[in-house]
Amino acid sequence: MKSWRAWIEPSLAVLIALGCAVLVLVLLGANPARALVALAGGAFGDRLALENTVVRMMPLALIGLGVSLAFRCGVWNIGGEGQLYLGALAATALGTRLLPDAPAAILIPVLLAGGALAGALWAGIAALLKTQRGVSEVLSTILLNFVAVLAVAWAVHGPLQELAGSYPQSDLLPEAGRLGIPPGLLRIHGGVVLVLLLPFAVWLLLFRSAVGLRLRAVGASPDAARYAGVSPEREVVRALLLSGGLAGLAGAIEIAGVTGRLFENLSPGYGFTAIAVSLLARLHPLGVLPAALFFAALASGSGAMQRVAGVPSVTVQVIEAIVIFLSVGFALAGRRS
Amino acid sequence: MPRVALRDIHKRFGSTEALRGANLELAPGEIHAVLGENGAGKSTLVRALYGLVRPDRGEILIDGVPREISTPRRALELGIGLVHQHFMLVPALTVAENLLLGEPLPAFLRRAELRARAREILELYDLGLDPDAPADSLAVAERQRLEIVRALARGVGVLILDEPTAVLAPSEAAALLSLLPRLRERGTTVLFISHKLAEITAVCDRVTVLRAGRSVATRPVAGLAAAELGRWMVGEALPPPGSPPAMAAGAPALRLQDLRVPGLGGIDLELRAGEVLAIAGIDGNGQGPLEEVLAGVLPIGSGTLEVLRPPLAVLSGDRQRTGLVLDLSIGENLALSEAAGAGRERLYRYGFLRSSELQRVARESIARFEIRGAPDLQARALSGGNQQKLCVARALGGEPRVLVAVNPTRGLDVAATAAVREELRERARAGAAVLLISTDLDEVLELGTRVCVLFRGRLTAVEPERRTRERIGELMLGLGGA
Ligand SMILES: Nc1ncnc2c1ncn2[C@@H]1O[C@H](COP(=O)(O)OP(=O)(O)OP(=O)(O)O)[C@@H](O)[C@H]1O
Ligand SMILES: [Mg+2]
Repeated sequence: MKSWRAWIEPSLAVLIALGCAVLVLVLLGANPARALVALAGGAFGDRLALENTVVRMMPLALIGLGVSLAFRCGVWNIGGEGQLYLGALAATALGTRLLPDAPAAILIPVLLAGGALAGALWAGIAALLKTQRGVSEVLSTILLNFVAVLAVAWAVHGPLQELAGSYPQSDLLPEAGRLGIPPGLLRIHGGVVLVLLLPFAVWLLLFRSAVGLRLRAVGASPDAARYAGVSPEREVVRALLLSGGLAGLAGAIEIAGVTGRLFENLSPGYGFTAIAVSLLARLHPLGVLPAALFFAALASGSGAMQRVAGVPSVTVQVIEAIVIFLSVGFALAGRRS
Repeated sequence: MPRVALRDIHKRFGSTEALRGANLELAPGEIHAVLGENGAGKSTLVRALYGLVRPDRGEILIDGVPREISTPRRALELGIGLVHQHFMLVPALTVAENLLLGEPLPAFLRRAELRARAREILELYDLGLDPDAPADSLAVAERQRLEIVRALARGVGVLILDEPTAVLAPSEAAALLSLLPRLRERGTTVLFISHKLAEITAVCDRVTVLRAGRSVATRPVAGLAAAELGRWMVGEALPPPGSPPAMAAGAPALRLQDLRVPGLGGIDLELRAGEVLAIAGIDGNGQGPLEEVLAGVLPIGSGTLEVLRPPLAVLSGDRQRTGLVLDLSIGENLALSEAAGAGRERLYRYGFLRSSELQRVARESIARFEIRGAPDLQARALSGGNQQKLCVARALGGEPRVLVAVNPTRGLDVAATAAVREELRERARAGAAVLLISTDLDEVLELGTRVCVLFRGRLTAVEPERRTRERIGELMLGLGGA
């Protein structure tokens, strides 16, 4: 695999998709230049837009990182959405019910670790089903998404519902549990530090550690890995736990950094878009950052495009779909040549 | 006019020049051998003819007409078929379905019709295959016959066989070799790649030698002795075969007692330090389960398996499926056993890779086993023989005191075969215990301090005073009575 292909092909996928979007816009009778400028403006135009984009990018990058890691071990984690919800649920329970009076230095690490652990355990169910019963993780992780969303709905109507009001939402996290805003040009919560560091950590893990070599060996050839003394089952469990942990962490960060409380429909499908992020990144841990930024920009710019240019925001979904198809297509073509 | 002519073919993969001016002419109805060291470019050349590799330069003429062969489909249209060095059947499909795959067939084909057509083709060539058997239930030799039949069924007039005998037992190889003249009688032109000189002198009409991507000469085979052919290919006289390590009374290193798994019925065996115990036998008589149980991937049914002098390493008999992870680099393949927790920490410290150390170890193995590739090259990009060398390097890299080697020289060229056999003898002399499981009688006789035969899952020792090809051949067929 030549290294330039790793950059050229995703860029090409994005360009072609934007080209197709122009075509769609023309067919809709809109002015494509105006619409795309509005889209870019909505995503990057001013400080507020940029902050909005970066905040959306964070869960996409973390979950996409986990999806890539699992893919490298030959495991399809389609359950990022559910793991995110479970992570958010755990963080909320810890912050509002179990440790409401803890100081920030304790509460924030506990919230993040608790969210990651919950996501990992949720993915662990799929891992157990796969290794013990041979259930495909594609199915189990998808189905666990529904269960997780329902679990959150039940929690905000029941045990975690706010004590004062009657809305189906939790209480606000105590101030000590909220992620602060580090000094800088943008006012974005401190989760950004993790989002920028973890891709490097995962890269180190995958390509410079014994664990990573085992994971990738299992992903490429379970038979040969087993011969070399690796237990494919154990690596599959490990990959799913790590992958779920990253998604759970994303959920905890959403609560502690963005919303401050738990409610239904917390995520606009981050867990699903993250799969596209991982494909566009060609499963590369560092590629996840630009790929997540791209999808986040589409999401945050689409509203502006609709307002300014009068184009339905579904045009953005056309772009997303084409990028996904092309990413998969390039990956398959790369395999054959 | 030559049936097929390849002129001045060049092909470069990244920084490796696989072909640098290769010429090959096949006369109509001849059996033409291509001979050359591992990595000389034999597979690349025939893959170019079959449309799997696009040459950078050079031309291909079929019946005198220059042709662009861009896909296997095009090659088949032009009457050229290839049976790969590594198999390419669809395992879940049946023999009949595999046979008819890729045939122009009516859209809705009834199963009965499908089977009838398959049966017709199978009977025409008298090859005894059950059309309803799933391809993954076939033995290696049967799969290969299926691939040959599949090519012939499509009306192929030029049949390319890339190291077909490397995976066959001697009797099966003999059967295949006897098929070739029959094909020639029916007008088929055969291109035959092999590292076994005796096979070439036995059935081929002409031979072309490839050296480092260039064709050096083409000669008629008649009157050429195998030794002469070898000298001509390697450029010097071949070393005489070595003799097995002497009977040693070393400490027991590996002991199996009444070991049973599906396919093996009660194996008793004691392997001692300093000896090579060679197990001969036709593939399918329990070699697979024996290898897997020793590699620890198949649970023991009953009985015991004791490794008395660890570590134990297994040199797998299937380099592409279990021996190597083809998508990983040479270096990563070498590091995998250690990453899996075997042996002392050398390449990893606190679980993290010491890149420079891995580069050094990989370079050392590459130089020592003459692997054509760099540490970061994907194992998939190596030629078949070089993949085999990497398997050998990996098994020996951990300095095992018990080594299980399954067909260790399969697919290696003459010089590399001699080198690997010498390496195994050397290890035994240095105190390792070697268990050789091989379908190659020459190898068994050349290496085995003691020789056993595996037949239908049972082990029979060959009496030292009756250690002959004939006697071992008898036992391999289960005729060992007296
Ligand atoms: N897809 C590829 N990518 C990179 N290098 C390749 C590729 N295919 C072949 N090569 C290189 O080209 C050279 C010739 O390989 P080829 O497979 O033709 O050898 P061969 O003569 O068939 O050897 P063997 O006897 O071992 O099968 C080797 O050095 C090999 O590593
Ligand atoms: Mg070859």
